[in-house]
Amino acid sequence: MIDRTLRIGIVCPYSWDVPGGVQNHIRDLAEFLINNGHYVEVLAPATESEDLPDYVVSAGRAVSIPYNGAVARVLFGVGANSRVRSWINDGDFDLLHLHEPAIPSLSLLACWAGEGAMVGTFHAAAKYQKAIVAIGPILEPVIEKLSARIAVSESARLTLTAHLETDAIVIPNGIYADNYRDGVSRTEWQGNTIGFLGRFEEDRKGLPVLLDALPIISRFIPDIRVLIAGPGDSEEVLEKVDPQLRNRVEFLGKISEIDKADFLASVSLYIAPNTGGESFGIILAEAMAGGAAVVASDIPAFADVLGNGQFGALFESENSENLAKVIIDLLRDETKRRELAAAGAVHAQRFDWGQVGVEIFEVYELAMVSGQKVSLTSENRSWTRLLGRD
Amino acid sequence: MKNVILFAGLAILIFWYLTFSASRLDRLHHRVETSWATLDSLLQKRAAIALEVARSAITDPATSLLLTASAYQARSADVEDRSSAESVLSGALGMMLAERESIVTKSDQALLHELEELTDKIKIAIAIHVEAVTRTQLIRRKLVFRLFRLAGKAPLPVTYEFEADAI
Repeated sequence: MIDRTLRIGIVCPYSWDVPGGVQNHIRDLAEFLINNGHYVEVLAPATESEDLPDYVVSAGRAVSIPYNGAVARVLFGVGANSRVRSWINDGDFDLLHLHEPAIPSLSLLACWAGEGAMVGTFHAAAKYQKAIVAIGPILEPVIEKLSARIAVSESARLTLTAHLETDAIVIPNGIYADNYRDGVSRTEWQGNTIGFLGRFEEDRKGLPVLLDALPIISRFIPDIRVLIAGPGDSEEVLEKVDPQLRNRVEFLGKISEIDKADFLASVSLYIAPNTGGESFGIILAEAMAGGAAVVASDIPAFADVLGNGQFGALFESENSENLAKVIIDLLRDETKRRELAAAGAVHAQRFDWGQVGVEIFEVYELAMVSGQKVSLTSENRSWTRLLGRD
Repeated sequence: MKNVILFAGLAILIFWYLTFSASRLDRLHHRVETSWATLDSLLQKRAAIALEVARSAITDPATSLLLTASAYQARSADVEDRSSAESVLSGALGMMLAERESIVTKSDQALLHELEELTDKIKIAIAIHVEAVTRTQLIRRKLVFRLFRLAGKAPLPVTYEFEADAI
């Protein structure tokens, strides 16, 4: 175990200004490392503002590009490249941790420019795509500079092996399980309630799938209540619901972390009907830690977190009838529901930062064996000097 | 004149590509060496702990015998036989750990705890090393690398048939 203070540089590919799974993971990881006495800097695209945590270094404002079927807020270009280079040069880091080095953003630039102990984490789980295979030869020499690779889930690992022919160690994203353990069950949220959390206006979060299942569910369970927590315009969503069922749907607005723990402890079922585009099901891990029985769509990221149905029920993604059936079955069978919640609560400990953080640090230790600091890569140096760019 | 510039440009490009590829391969060789050195030292440590366990009161005489023999074998095996020797040691340690409930004294438990931590590290080290080896082998098979002998005199890294679920 290394007990001296390390200087760790983390590179975030996506804009720090917008919330997202990768950003949250990096924030928690940085705080975990700082709490363990290390010096951490996070290089991320961000607008300069006073709200930035002091460990975040802005590399400039992000640009939006369509990537992989979604809009990604990333950063690259000549200016960004020179900022990455000077950050590495001045940082005197023992190790660089690059997130998503295979997408066109800061991490790729850092991987290209850096030399030394570098760990890469791959978040995305995608279907096999010829486009990514086609850019493989360009990425290969860059990706192979990483001393160690981490994939956040089994499906992310398979994505990596299929597209870039390289293997990775699976370490899941982390949660602070303790924050969710002590949720208090509130009477107003009890009963035949099913909970939904998230930015419900985004279709890929799958609220329409849940609302389409509502007519069937209410036929069998008339006192069903759908509790929706998260930011967004509720009017617009309600318009699409059958007027007779509108009183079955309640919007709680954006809720605090403490309310979230109570919410998860109160609802009978937690539903995650997401239709895709998830890199990891961190919300499922939180729901399990909060003691909720979880029902989720069977997209790869979710199936991984739920142990293929062992720790939460799965339904066929985008199939409202199947979702309705799973919900009705579980609401009618309290024993099964409790068993599922209990199994989930135990499994959630697997995702606790206490364990995840230590595993990541073990990878750091093995990546740093040569003991050399991270520097700018030497092979380009003579050439850049020749071209007068250094 | 135009042709000369074009030719010179092309020559520079090819030269750049070759130096780039050579340093790329060099880095991979370096990675294979360091990852093997790490893995080797971890395995040596494991064999040492296995011997310590064998001498302690944790194990019965038969298990002690098995552990001692396999630990010695793992330590003295040469490169080609190393992975099978280490697998035998993994098996012996696994058998011993299966009965760990019967172990009560604090110092013995500390020893086993150390062994478990080491096992976690070995798993990661194996993954890192195997990855480096396959990458290197894959690249050295490419035409450019063979044609210009970019690997120089570096020996082709040996594949180690570590079982992924060792221990």
